[in-house]
Amino acid sequence: MHLASSSDGKPRGQHRDPGRGFLRPLSSLGAGTSGEIADVLPDSNGRTDRLLALGVTPGAAITVLQTFPGVVFLCDQTELAVERGVADAILVRVGETRR
Amino acid sequence: MSCHVVHERATAAPRVLTLRPRPLRIALVGQPNVGKSVVFGRLTGRYVTVSNYPGTTVAVTKGRAPVGAEVCDIIDTPGVNALDGTLSEDERITRDVVAGTECDLVIQIADARNLRRALMLTSQIATFAKPMVLALNMVDEAFARGIVVDAAALEAELGVPVIEMVAVEGRGLSELRDALARAGRPHVPVHPHASDRAVWAHQLTERVRHASSLSLAYVQEALARLTRRPETGLPILAAVLYSLYLFVGVFGAQTLVKLLEDGVFGKGINPAAIWIANRFVPFAFVRDFFVGEYGLITMGVTYAIAIVLPVVATFFLMFGFLEDSGYIPRLAIFCDRMFRIMGLNGKAVLPMVLGLGCDTMATMTTRILGTPKERLIAIMLLALGIPCSAQLATILGILGGVSFAALATLFGVVVAQMFFVGWLAARVLKGDRSEFILELPPIRWPRVGNLLTKTRLRVWWYLGEAVPLFLAGTMLLFVLDRAGLLGYLSAIGRPIVTSLLGLPESTAQIFVMGFLRRDYGAAGLFQLAHNGQLTGVQAVVALTVMTLFVPCVANFMMMVRERGLKTGLTILAVITPVAILTGAGLNGVLHALGIKF
Repeated sequence: MHLASSSDGKPRGQHRDPGRGFLRPLSSLGAGTSGEIADVLPDSNGRTDRLLALGVTPGAAITVLQTFPGVVFLCDQTELAVERGVADAILVRVGETRR
Repeated sequence: MSCHVVHERATAAPRVLTLRPRPLRIALVGQPNVGKSVVFGRLTGRYVTVSNYPGTTVAVTKGRAPVGAEVCDIIDTPGVNALDGTLSEDERITRDVVAGTECDLVIQIADARNLRRALMLTSQIATFAKPMVLALNMVDEAFARGIVVDAAALEAELGVPVIEMVAVEGRGLSELRDALARAGRPHVPVHPHASDRAVWAHQLTERVRHASSLSLAYVQEALARLTRRPETGLPILAAVLYSLYLFVGVFGAQTLVKLLEDGVFGKGINPAAIWIANRFVPFAFVRDFFVGEYGLITMGVTYAIAIVLPVVATFFLMFGFLEDSGYIPRLAIFCDRMFRIMGLNGKAVLPMVLGLGCDTMATMTTRILGTPKERLIAIMLLALGIPCSAQLATILGILGGVSFAALATLFGVVVAQMFFVGWLAARVLKGDRSEFILELPPIRWPRVGNLLTKTRLRVWWYLGEAVPLFLAGTMLLFVLDRAGLLGYLSAIGRPIVTSLLGLPESTAQIFVMGFLRRDYGAAGLFQLAHNGQLTGVQAVVALTVMTLFVPCVANFMMMVRERGLKTGLTILAVITPVAILTGAGLNGVLHALGIKF
């Protein structure tokens, strides 16, 4: 009973978003995936500030362009390249997939 | 209610000449790479370097511009993504301009495609309570990508003039000048938190921007894709480097240099100067001063104009093309992992590549890096391993004639040394590395006009900067030679130069010249090699040491200006032994293995 009600059973890296499916970190998405940014997890070095200033904010449309060597994505009209650690911290509400 | 406020402001602003104790001071503020410097150039008639990557402007430039009946001071500022929160050094410069008393009015330049981000910045500019105008630049590019902004609706909502522009074509500039009289404080709800401002910007954008998924910019988008994917991007990089080698190393450093050095100077100017001197100057001392072994004309001018100028000019032309195309930041994607070994991130590729033009300028560009530790490492590696354009070309000119293996050995040793020193510095120095987050500019076809202007100004700048130092260096050598000190100096350097590095004695004086300007020293080596005084191994060793060796005086001054005297001297103290020991090691290994090139 306890186990079933807790969120421990969810796959790693996925966050439950009531009513709207799963949130997935940007780093787990393949090229061509589109969605909407749901959240940016903060760190101690102002990562959220920097991403926010570049337009990576909740609600912005996002499309993954490339995943190697770095993660490259289009956020609204800005093309951004980030390292994997940063992509881990960007949570995306995945919409339709297109190539 | 907001309409009322807008109306009042728009009519209350007087459109007549206002008497002021001093000119109105207008700051151009905006995200990186939105065209602030283009607008600055259009308003003031002064050219500041324009490129297609964030971080071209890292310092403030001022100029005067006629606006109506008035003359205003225009301030061009480094691009900013934010004015509060975590700021890099160049962003802080802009914040200080906007916050301080040296600016009365702000023109925010925005990329019309990226309205959402622009509005986030608008809401931050609003907190400084200065009247402003919003200029939406590059509406043509936005249109090509299916984006249309309703400027009138935006103007009504913001309560400040909103001007649509294509600054590179001069469209919208007179509207911008006219709008200055109507400048007002934007009608922005005051948000204490950045995330609330983002929500506001997002909602406002949704109301005034219409985007269709139809894009007409197929070619640019295809090129953008090809240059950033490893399977196509790495072959493209190889092709770019090879073209650089062909254009600068072969056409510039060999064809043009031969034409100028052997032809124009060797057969024309120098014999004429010598003839005139012999005929009209009775004193041998004065004759030698101008046309002797260390003569102002036969050595100083010849070096600067015949050996280094062609190389610098071809390099700047090719480099400007790469800058304006938006290609260089894409390299950061490939470099990120490698740069992490040296305590940097991919963003550092910008100052590093720029250093190939001039290490002194590149030292200033390190301002775009996130942390002081990264700046320090980048400045040191620039001084240590990145050859400037003139040096690069003399390297290509000398070693291209020896063998490809010689060239590969030099670059291999220098790159390995950079990794080693960077790796060490990353561990020894305190502080953090910042995370790699970089905006990639769109791929654009460079404008010929901008390319030519930029190249011409850089070549002029080079001549203004280098020629006096070349002449001063030649005079110094002449004086040292006459006073008998040159022999003394060579004698001191002999143990190092001849036994440790296995080089001819005369190289000692070339290293002295190298400190005045690296390219001057490299040009000295070039002549030595040209006269057949260097073996293949000696050429490789000498050039390796020269590349790693102390930066030129200008570079050293810039390091001191940016990071202080103590840091500058420390960097010098690290680099000098590294350079000499590497040269000695290389010499030893090459001899032990019996490699001759």
